[in-house]
Amino acid sequence: MISLQHVNARAGRFELTDISFDVPQGTYGVVIGPAGSGKTTLLETIAGVIRATAGRILLGGEDLTSAPPERRRLGIVYQHAFLFPHLTVRQNVGYGAAANEDLDDVSTRFGVDALADRSVESLSGGERQLVAIARALARRPEVLLLDEPFSALDPRTRNIVRRVLRTVYYERRFTVLQVTHDFSEAGLLGDVAIVLDRGRVVQQGDPEQVFRKPASPYIADFLGAENVFAGMAQPIRAEAPDWVQGHESQFAQYAVAFTTGALTFYALGDVVPGPTHAVIRAEEVSLSAEPSMSSVQNQFRGRIVEIVPAGALSRVTVDASGTPIVSAVTARSVRELGLAVGVEVVAGFKATAVHLC
Amino acid sequence: MRAVATILVALFASLFLLFILAPVVGLVSSGGARGVASLASDHELRASLWLTVATATVATLLGMLGGTPLAYLLARRAFRGRAVVAALMDLPLVIPHPVAGIALLLVLGRSSPIGGVLYQAGIRVASSSTGIVCAMLFVSAPLYVSAAREAFARVDARYESVARTLGDDAWRAFRRVTLPLSARGLTAAAVVMWARAISEFGAIVILTYNPKVVSVLSYDRFTSYGMSEALPVAAILVLFALVPLAALRALRAGGPHPST
Repeated sequence: MISLQHVNARAGRFELTDISFDVPQGTYGVVIGPAGSGKTTLLETIAGVIRATAGRILLGGEDLTSAPPERRRLGIVYQHAFLFPHLTVRQNVGYGAAANEDLDDVSTRFGVDALADRSVESLSGGERQLVAIARALARRPEVLLLDEPFSALDPRTRNIVRRVLRTVYYERRFTVLQVTHDFSEAGLLGDVAIVLDRGRVVQQGDPEQVFRKPASPYIADFLGAENVFAGMAQPIRAEAPDWVQGHESQFAQYAVAFTTGALTFYALGDVVPGPTHAVIRAEEVSLSAEPSMSSVQNQFRGRIVEIVPAGALSRVTVDASGTPIVSAVTARSVRELGLAVGVEVVAGFKATAVHLC
Repeated sequence: MRAVATILVALFASLFLLFILAPVVGLVSSGGARGVASLASDHELRASLWLTVATATVATLLGMLGGTPLAYLLARRAFRGRAVVAALMDLPLVIPHPVAGIALLLVLGRSSPIGGVLYQAGIRVASSSTGIVCAMLFVSAPLYVSAAREAFARVDARYESVARTLGDDAWRAFRRVTLPLSARGLTAAAVVMWARAISEFGAIVILTYNPKVVSVLSYDRFTSYGMSEALPVAAILVLFALVPLAALRALRAGGPHPST
């Protein structure tokens, strides 16, 4: 378990301020934040490489705030591996190994036993990361700290390294805290997400919740939400539309009309009247030729202004009365609906898909 | 226009190179052969050469002993007054070396408090090989500290961080990781210091005229017997200086530190 309680730390002119979060024993925590938000400083503070100037750091329930790194029973893997260049692969993996069996075990699992006598300078990027992770795990740490370990790898190698790590993690169930600037990584891996910005924790919780309900427009933007609107929220309660009263009566008191530009759409939220932001994930926006009769409460007719293929999905931007609404649809839907720039469609999303922040 | 500029640059570079090389080549061609030949017959020259090598080596070892931790601290630790310490370490490089000799004589001479205590303890600094070592150490150690600091700075501190999380305490991480990774740079730093030490004259001549190191011997022969007697000694010193230069080249040919 990793538990930070009101931790402050300083690295040069950069400061971490009042950092508090828990990553329970055996879970996978992910720290997300833009470049310069203090992610690496945070890991190094937990590792004891940087001294905490205030607060408490508990690892496995033990207060190790002042303990040197070698007493913290953790391993750290940096983005650039930092393999010892004067040692062979086997010497690197075995550097801190608790026993020869651990060295052999991780070497086999990570497939680095075949590289044993090679110089680390001759390794590819993926092999280096595998060796770096194997080196950290050979010591059987209770906590593994990963500083963007996959970001320098090509997609195929990334998947291989990630899969191997995941397998060992499920077997040994140590606690992991991984730093990334890529939210898709967090959603893919994490049990707990911690969003860091300018040295402070700005949001934490279940990655799905953080993704769906970012605490601020900034976080929404950083997490890649395509539809972030500034506008005015107005609780409507008594005038709640039929769909609220008829289906989910307990929602009535939270019914909100949100106006942005020429659009007004329904949302649910406990907000005071006034300016706020609405966030809608592109995946939550559906496109159809005609308004549907389904439970999709917000439907706006508009014209497609852009289609950007992005992997399996395409990002389709619809201009609805001057407000751009982005929808993520499959390539198959693009074909079947005959979507193209200039085509008129209806963009729809549920009130529950709108997150006000 | 561009061709003219290229010719001018090449001309100035050649003239500069000639300015540096001509005296050295002249010296070696005039006295080199006689210098090598006199090594067999000139007992004073042999003794002087041995004294120079021995004192420069001792000074370098002492410089490494004290300068390595200091260089490491300057490279790795942010502490109050670091800039002042770094500036103070550079001071011997900018003061004239006879002035350095006078300063050392002031502190270590028999009539000074420290020199007096040392003398009572049987350690004579002035006019002894100890004085030569002190003078060499004073003027050349800053070169070692500066180069060693660079060598440590080139090794990313995260290698040590990783070693610490793998169970090493600070000293063990230094010994197992930082030292091997900076070894080439530290050796180069020591070679530079040693080379500077064997060529020192100004501080040594004030502190210890006798016994004579090679630089003082060449000066002594020049003032006592003239150019012809000084030439072989001076040429030997120049030939000798080629040893550390060749060593430096070999070290640098090994390439930069890998960042793996």
